[in-house]
Amino acid sequence: MLPLVRGKVDRMSCSRSTDLAELAGARSISVAEVPVAENEPLARDTYRLRIYHPPMARRFLPGQFLMLRLADCDDPLIGRAFALYDTVLDERGEPCGVDVVYLVKGKLTRRLARTPVGQRVLVWGPLGNSFPPIAVDEVVMVAGGIGQTPFLAWARELAGQRMFGEPPRRVPVVPRRLLLYGTRTADLLAGLEAFAQAGLEVQLATEDGSRGHAGRVTELLEKILQCGKRPAVVACGPDPMLAAVAQLCFQYEVPCWVSLETPMACGIGICFSCVARVRQDGDWDYRRTCVEGPVFDARCLVW
Amino acid sequence: MEQPAVDLSVSLGRLQLPNPITVASGTFGYIREMEGIVDVGRLGAVIPKTVTWQKRLGNAPWRTVETAAGLLNSIGLDNDGIDYFLAEHLPYLRRLPTKLIVSIAGRTADEFARMAERLEAAGGVAALELNISCPNVAHGTDFGADPVKCAEVVRLVRSACDLPVIAKLSPNVTSIVEIAEAAEQNGADAVSMINTVLGMAVDWRRRRPLLGNVLGGLSGPAVKPIALRCVYQVRSRLSIPIMGIGGIASIDDVMEFIVAGASAVQVGTANYYDPQVTLRLVTQLPGALQEAGVTSVRDLVGTLRVADEVDRG
Ligand SMILES: Cc1cc2nc3c(=O)[nH]c(=O)nc-3n(C[C@H](O)[C@H](O)[C@H](O)COP(=O)(O)OP(=O)(O)OC[C@H]3O[C@@H](n4cnc5c(N)ncnc54)[C@H](O)[C@@H]3O)c2cc1C
Ligand SMILES: Cc1cc2nc3c(=O)[nH]c(=O)nc-3n(C[C@H](O)[C@H](O)[C@H](O)COP(=O)(O)O)c2cc1C
Ligand code: FES
Repeated sequence: MLPLVRGKVDRMSCSRSTDLAELAGARSISVAEVPVAENEPLARDTYRLRIYHPPMARRFLPGQFLMLRLADCDDPLIGRAFALYDTVLDERGEPCGVDVVYLVKGKLTRRLARTPVGQRVLVWGPLGNSFPPIAVDEVVMVAGGIGQTPFLAWARELAGQRMFGEPPRRVPVVPRRLLLYGTRTADLLAGLEAFAQAGLEVQLATEDGSRGHAGRVTELLEKILQCGKRPAVVACGPDPMLAAVAQLCFQYEVPCWVSLETPMACGIGICFSCVARVRQDGDWDYRRTCVEGPVFDARCLVW
Repeated sequence: MEQPAVDLSVSLGRLQLPNPITVASGTFGYIREMEGIVDVGRLGAVIPKTVTWQKRLGNAPWRTVETAAGLLNSIGLDNDGIDYFLAEHLPYLRRLPTKLIVSIAGRTADEFARMAERLEAAGGVAALELNISCPNVAHGTDFGADPVKCAEVVRLVRSACDLPVIAKLSPNVTSIVEIAEAAEQNGADAVSMINTVLGMAVDWRRRRPLLGNVLGGLSGPAVKPIALRCVYQVRSRLSIPIMGIGGIASIDDVMEFIVAGASAVQVGTANYYDPQVTLRLVTQLPGALQEAGVTSVRDLVGTLRVADEVDRG
């Protein structure tokens, strides 16, 4: 049974979710070397990469991620985390592939951008928790830059367009779904048609004003909350943006989840490098984002 | 064609392992995380993350940074302490179909000994690994950098319990042979080497160190030559069995360590970027032994041919 979080969250759930026995039983991770099937530009420095792996695709939930690296390559050495952007369906409508969207940033993504179709990559996933099923009237997703990637799949799920997981999980349909999406400049905005097709209402912000609201995406959120709306808010993006979103949500007393992009080395809980400060018994402890996250109730984190 | 049977078993003093492929402490979590990814019953042994007497939060992020063909880390022995380990991890670990080597780190020789006593009493532990070589905690390498202190901690642990004892050594010393000798003379069954190599990474634009703890330990393929050198030096001077660690990621790496003098190996960082690497190594080992013309791992240990006139350092 999925724990449902209703309108207002009245129960703090920061308890140790790494009951490890539970964790091991619940996880089913595929490790596979597969060829890159597609590697298409979506926007400036932004690409969609597709791989086919039916068992992995069938189990993926929105909010989860995979680790990816170039096969047989010592530099870059360590895998990088990429959120599920969308699953790919076969002719029978069964998930058979996984799309991730990446922004060219450093060592691996620079290489990926020049990687031809057919190049082999090592991937492991699905990893991490997922977005919580929520029974509310409205969800506002707040995306900062490449932090937009986890929201497409979730929007499809909340709209009732698609079910994810094995067995497919059933979540309540959320009638109103809004994406606030901010980037530095308009040419970095990616996947807008896909978001519209997933039934999302989208409001844009660019820092240079080249499209949508001129300024930060958090300003769009504040306007909405000021109008007296009480949506559930879920955010993904750079840490300062997440902190600002959490602060607004605390102030307006609306539930808030954040998906962290903590640097990771393994993605599966064995290195203890991805820690975030999580509240515990009036104090805090470092917890692994890759197993207890990446999605956290904002009130559970030390900001 | 009939394949001659190969004997994969190895012994490290009083500790017998069914095969020489094991995992390095801190690079396989508490083993449970790998359920469903690696069938640990096929490994020679498992070594969970180092346990300390009291809970330690560990160091501030960032805790890892990738460097050329390597990984720098400053985790800082993040763990919940020996009480939690005994209550929450050991019951699971002792039921695994493989040998369990528990890695411990005390702030004092006495803490090492007290943890050793409690682990022996709890049962299910095949051997202890003394982590006297963690570069990421204050005084973490004190015992591994001074032969007198190394001698003291090994002696005390040996008198506190009857479990086989492996001393895990640091490469961040002038003479690793001297430290290994102190371990050998005081009753260690084996030595494992190397722990990580002290290093750092700098962001010059922000003029900041990249690691939260400034300094960290380097691991991965980048350190393999250093590790091989350490194994070779100790092997050519002492007779204590060695577990080789450092950058092992392929069957060739495993064979190189065995030939240089390791009776067994621990795979570390490679687990992070290739989660099933250990299984592949176990599968490939018999073929590699055959190629080397031996029918047992033991026949290959330390068989490196070095011309007589070479100074063995
Ligand atoms: C759960 C999760 C989901 C993610 N999903 C996506 C996604 O869908 N799409 C996407 O594009 N990215 C995503 N990321 C981020 C992605 O993993 C990184 O952007 C990626 O590592 C960049 O790799 P790189 O090799 O190109 O850059 P790197 O060479 O690793 O460097 C990237 C930048 O980070 C800095 N950096 C280097 N080391 C560290 C460190 N240890 N800690 C922090 N910063 C460091 C560098 O200075 C550089 O500015 C996700 C991260 C997480 C944790
Ligand atoms: C992130 C990380 C954490 C580690 N934690 C421990 C530890 O808790 N105890 C320990 O004895 N060694 C620890 N080590 C060192 C490894 O066990 C090993 O000695 C070292 O990484 C070299 O091997 P490798 O190159 O195969 O990784 C750690 C290494 C890494 C990279
Ligand atoms: S990334 Fe290794 S424990 Fe989370």
